[in-house]
Amino acid sequence: MMTAPQARPAVAPVTVTAPAPEPAPLLDVRGLTISYGNARGTLRAASDVGFAIRPGEVMGLVGESGSGKSTIAMAILDLLGGGGRVDSGEILFDGVDLRRLPAAERRALRGDRIAAVFQDPFTSLNPALTVGRQIAEPLIQHKSLSPRQAAARVLDLLAEVGIRDPRRVTAAYPHELSGGMQQRALIATALGCEPKLLILDEPTTALDVTVEARIIDLLAKLCDSHGLSALFVSHNLGIVNRICQTVTVLYGGLVVETGPTGRVLSRPAHPYSKGLVAALPRITAGRRHRLPSIPGTVAKLSGPPAACVFAPRCPFAEETCRSQPQAMLTDAAGDGVRCWKADALAGTPWPDEESAARKPAPQAPAQPTAPLVEVDHLRKVYGANRSILPWLRRAGTVAVEDVSFTVGRGEVVGVVGESGSGKSTIGRALLALTEPSAGTVLFDGTDLTRQVKQGDQDLRRRAQLVFQNSAASLNPRKTVGDAMDRPLVLAGRADAEERRKTVAGLLTRVGLPSAYADRYPHELSGGERQRVNIARALATDPDFVVCDEAVSALDVSVQANILNLLAELRDEMGLSYLFITHDIAVVSHIADRVLVVYGGTICEEGPTGRVLRPPYHPYTEALLSAVPRLAEDGQEAPRILLEDAAPTPGGQGCAFAARCPRKLGAICDEQAPPVHRADDGHRIACHIPLATLAERAAVFPELVGDAAH
Amino acid sequence: MLAYTLTRLVYLALVLAVMSVLIFLVTQAMPGDVASMIAGQFASKEVVDAIAVKLGLDQPLVVQYGQWAAGILRGDLGRSLVLEQPIAPILMEALARSLVLAVVALAVVAVVGIGLGVLAAVQRGKLTDQLVSGISYLGIAVPDFFWAIVLVLIFGSYMKLLPTGGYAPIADGFLPWASHLVLPVITLVLMLLARIARLTRSSMIDVLQTNYVKFARAKGMPESVVILRHALKNALLPTITVLAIDFGLILGGVVVIETIFSYPGMGRLLLFAIQRHDLPLIQATILVVSAAYCLANLTADLLYAYVNPKIRHGMKAA
Repeated sequence: MMTAPQARPAVAPVTVTAPAPEPAPLLDVRGLTISYGNARGTLRAASDVGFAIRPGEVMGLVGESGSGKSTIAMAILDLLGGGGRVDSGEILFDGVDLRRLPAAERRALRGDRIAAVFQDPFTSLNPALTVGRQIAEPLIQHKSLSPRQAAARVLDLLAEVGIRDPRRVTAAYPHELSGGMQQRALIATALGCEPKLLILDEPTTALDVTVEARIIDLLAKLCDSHGLSALFVSHNLGIVNRICQTVTVLYGGLVVETGPTGRVLSRPAHPYSKGLVAALPRITAGRRHRLPSIPGTVAKLSGPPAACVFAPRCPFAEETCRSQPQAMLTDAAGDGVRCWKADALAGTPWPDEESAARKPAPQAPAQPTAPLVEVDHLRKVYGANRSILPWLRRAGTVAVEDVSFTVGRGEVVGVVGESGSGKSTIGRALLALTEPSAGTVLFDGTDLTRQVKQGDQDLRRRAQLVFQNSAASLNPRKTVGDAMDRPLVLAGRADAEERRKTVAGLLTRVGLPSAYADRYPHELSGGERQRVNIARALATDPDFVVCDEAVSALDVSVQANILNLLAELRDEMGLSYLFITHDIAVVSHIADRVLVVYGGTICEEGPTGRVLRPPYHPYTEALLSAVPRLAEDGQEAPRILLEDAAPTPGGQGCAFAARCPRKLGAICDEQAPPVHRADDGHRIACHIPLATLAERAAVFPELVGDAAH
Repeated sequence: MLAYTLTRLVYLALVLAVMSVLIFLVTQAMPGDVASMIAGQFASKEVVDAIAVKLGLDQPLVVQYGQWAAGILRGDLGRSLVLEQPIAPILMEALARSLVLAVVALAVVAVVGIGLGVLAAVQRGKLTDQLVSGISYLGIAVPDFFWAIVLVLIFGSYMKLLPTGGYAPIADGFLPWASHLVLPVITLVLMLLARIARLTRSSMIDVLQTNYVKFARAKGMPESVVILRHALKNALLPTITVLAIDFGLILGGVVVIETIFSYPGMGRLLLFAIQRHDLPLIQATILVVSAAYCLANLTADLLYAYVNPKIRHGMKAA
C-alpha cells in the first residue's frame, strides 16, 4: 500500500468495529488495476480502485475523460476491448468474484443480472433489426421465453419506460425513433430480465437537456421501484446530484474521493473534486465573469504512481505532494479522500482565476453604431426537389422559418436550442456556407449571399467558424502550423517567414507554446485542439466568429478554460461571436444577448439577464428548469418535463405547440404567435399574454435579486 | 420502395439509350466497310454500292441509328454479317452460358469469400487471419490465365479428371454439364475471392467495433449471435456492391478465361465479332452486356435496401 508523507486520517482511522450492521454490498470492487498494453508501452487505466454499491443504491463514478471511469464499467461487464486487461483485484458481485468465473458464466450474467445502458443511443441500437426484436433478445436468451411471450413482455417494458405507443415502437427500426425514444428502448432492454445491477455509462450525455431531464427522472424512478443498484458513470456533476446517493471521484485511474453525493458536491474534500465543482458552469446573469478552470490535462500513468497524481494541476500542491504518493484516508463514516492536506484545506475553495477579480469589466459595446450582422426574414428549406419525375417531387424540410436578428460590433449573441432547432443552419447562413431559401443576411451592410457569389473573399476572411468536434476539424496529416498557415496563404500573405511568426504569435495568443506548430493534431488533448481551432479562426484577423457548439464536447474543466479564452479574445480584439449551443448555462456566461430557438423559429430573444428571468417563453422556462444543478445552488424547483414530440416548423401555428406544457388550445396550432416586445429588445413570441407569463416564479430565484437588465 | 425502383428503371433506360448511341458511333468509327466486306474482296464498286443501298448504309447516320434502335425496341437485334443468321438466338445462347458461369462462380465467391472474411475479422491478427490474407493475395496477385493453365494441366492433362474445355448443355445430363464448369469456376473464384474476402474482413472489423455490437454483447448474446445476426448483415453493404460489379465482369469481360477453356460465352462471342468486323453482332453484344451490368447494379441497390432498413426508409420518402 502506498504511504502518505504524513499519515493524517481525515477524522479517525478505520476501526475494526463497523458502526452499524449494513447489508452486504451488491457490488464490491477491490484493488482493481487495469492496464492497456501495446507495442509502445502500457497505460494504467485504473490503479487499485475500490468502491462498494449497496443493494438499492446508485453510485456515481465521476471524472474527466481519460480518468478511467468507462474502463472500470467495462471491466465489470467483462467487455474491455482494445488490448485492455485486468491485472489484479476482485469484482465481487453478490459475494462472488466475477473474475474467477469462466467467460461463459460471465456472459450469462450480462443482460440478465447485470444490465447496461451506454452513452450514445443513436449507435447502440442495431440499424438492421427492429427495436422490438432487439429488446426481446435477452428475454429469449436468458429467460427462455418463446418469441411470442417475449414480444408481449416487450410491450409491457416499453410502456413502463414511458413510451405511449409500444406497438409502433416494437415494429420500428431505430432510425425511425428520436434519441429520447431510443434511449428509452435501451433502458427497456436493460430492465427486461429484471437485473439487480445496472451499469449506466453516460446514459444521457448525447441527449438534449429537456430529454435528459426526463430520462434521468425515469431512471431514478425505476431504480427506486425495482430496488435496483446502479453504477452511474458521468462527467456531469449536476446529473450525478440528481440520481446518485454516493459518489466516487476518479482521477488518473485512482479513486481520489468517495462519500455521499450531498457532502462531496457541497463540501468537496479533494482539490480535484473542488476544481470539478467550481468549473461547472452555473446559470449566472453576470456576463464578463470568468469561470474557474483546472489547468493542464489528465494524468496518464504507466505504473504505480510515484507522487500525488493530481499534483501537477493542483493549486495547493507542495513539495511533498510531488515526491510522495498519496494514500486513501478514510474517516469513520467511510468517506475517503486521497489527499494528506484535505483537513487543512477544508473550507478552502478552488481559487478563482487570478485576473478575474482585478480586471475591470469592459463596458458593453456602444449600441447605436450599425450592427455587424443583420439577419432579415431568413428562411431555409432543405431537400426540396422539383424533379420531372412526379413521384420524386418534394416540398422539403423547413430548417429555419422567418428568423430576424442582429449581431452588434463586439457583441456576443448566444443561440440556444436543441438538436433540430435550426441553430446550426442559422450559423451556416451567417457565414454564407448555405444559401438562404428566402430572406437576406447583411454583413457590415452588404448582402452576404450576393457578395460571396461574386467571389468576394474578403467576407470569408472577416467571418470565421469554430466547430464542436475539435479532432474532426483538423486534418490529421497536417501539423498545427500547416493547418494555420493555409488561411494566411489564402489571405494573400506571401512571406513565409512572416507567416511563421504570425502562427507562433497566434498560438501564444490562445495560450499554447509556439513549438506546437510542429505537432500533429493527435498529439494534442481535446482542449488544446480546440485552442488550435480558435487560433486558426483568428489567423485572418476576423471581426466575427461563429462558435458552433465549440465547447460542448469538452470536459467541464476544459470547457471553462476555453470559455475564458473566448471571453478574453472578445475583450481584447473586439470580436463579435454568434455562440451556438444547447447548453443555456454556457450561454449565460458569455453572451450579451440570447436567442432561444425552437423548430426553426425564435421564441424568445433579449439581453441575457432578461431571458434568464421571468417573464419566460414556456420553452425557455422548460430549458432553464432542465438545467442540472448542485445542491448548494438552492432548492430544486419542480422540473417542467416536456413530451417527446417533434417540433412542427413551417406550419401555421406555434412550432412549440405540440410539446408546450402551457398550450392554450387550438389557437396555438392554427395561428402564428404574436410577439410581445419590450424597450430593451426583449421579445417573446407566445399566445399567452405577457402579464400571465410574468406571473410565473423564477426558475433561478437567485438571479432575480440582481439588478434588472 | 416501388417509387424508388421506378425511378431507378427510368434512369436505367436513360443510361442504356446513351450507351446505345455511344456503341453505335464507336462501331461506325471502326475501320472496315460493311458493304465491301459482304461483297467480298474482289467485288466491283457498283456491287458494293448496291449492297450499301440495300442495307441502308447510304442514309445519314441519324437515320441509320434510328432504324437500328427501332429494331432493338421491337426485339430485332439484326442479322450477323458473318454467320448470316439472326443475332438474337446466337446472343441468347451465349448469354445463357455466361449467366450459368456467372451465377455459379459468384455463388461460390460469395459464400467462401464472405465466410473467409468473417473468419479473418473475428480472428483478427491471429494465424487464421494471416493465412486467409496470404491465400487470397496469392489468388489476386497471380494472373488468372496462369491459374487456368495450371488447373488445365493438373486436372485435365495430368490427372484426366475433368474436361479441359468446352461446354455441355444440361440436356446431356447433369454430370457432363457440371464437369465442364468446374475448372472455369475455380479460376474465376481464385481471381475474385481476394477482393470479397478482404472487403468483408475490413467492413466486419469496423462493424465489430460499433456500439450496437458492444451493446449486443452487454445483453449477454452468445458470440455467434453477435457476429451473424448483429454484425454480418451490416457489414455486407460494400460486399454486395462489389459482387454486382463482378457479376457484370463475368458476363462480358472474361475473354481470356473463356478462351483458355473454350467456353462459348459472351466474351468469346464479342471477340469473334470484333475479329470478323461483324458490326451488327458487335453492337448487339456490347449493348446486352451493358444492360446486364446495369441490371446487376440495380439488383445490388435493391439488395442494399433489403439489408439496410434506413435506405428502405429513404426510398419510401423518395
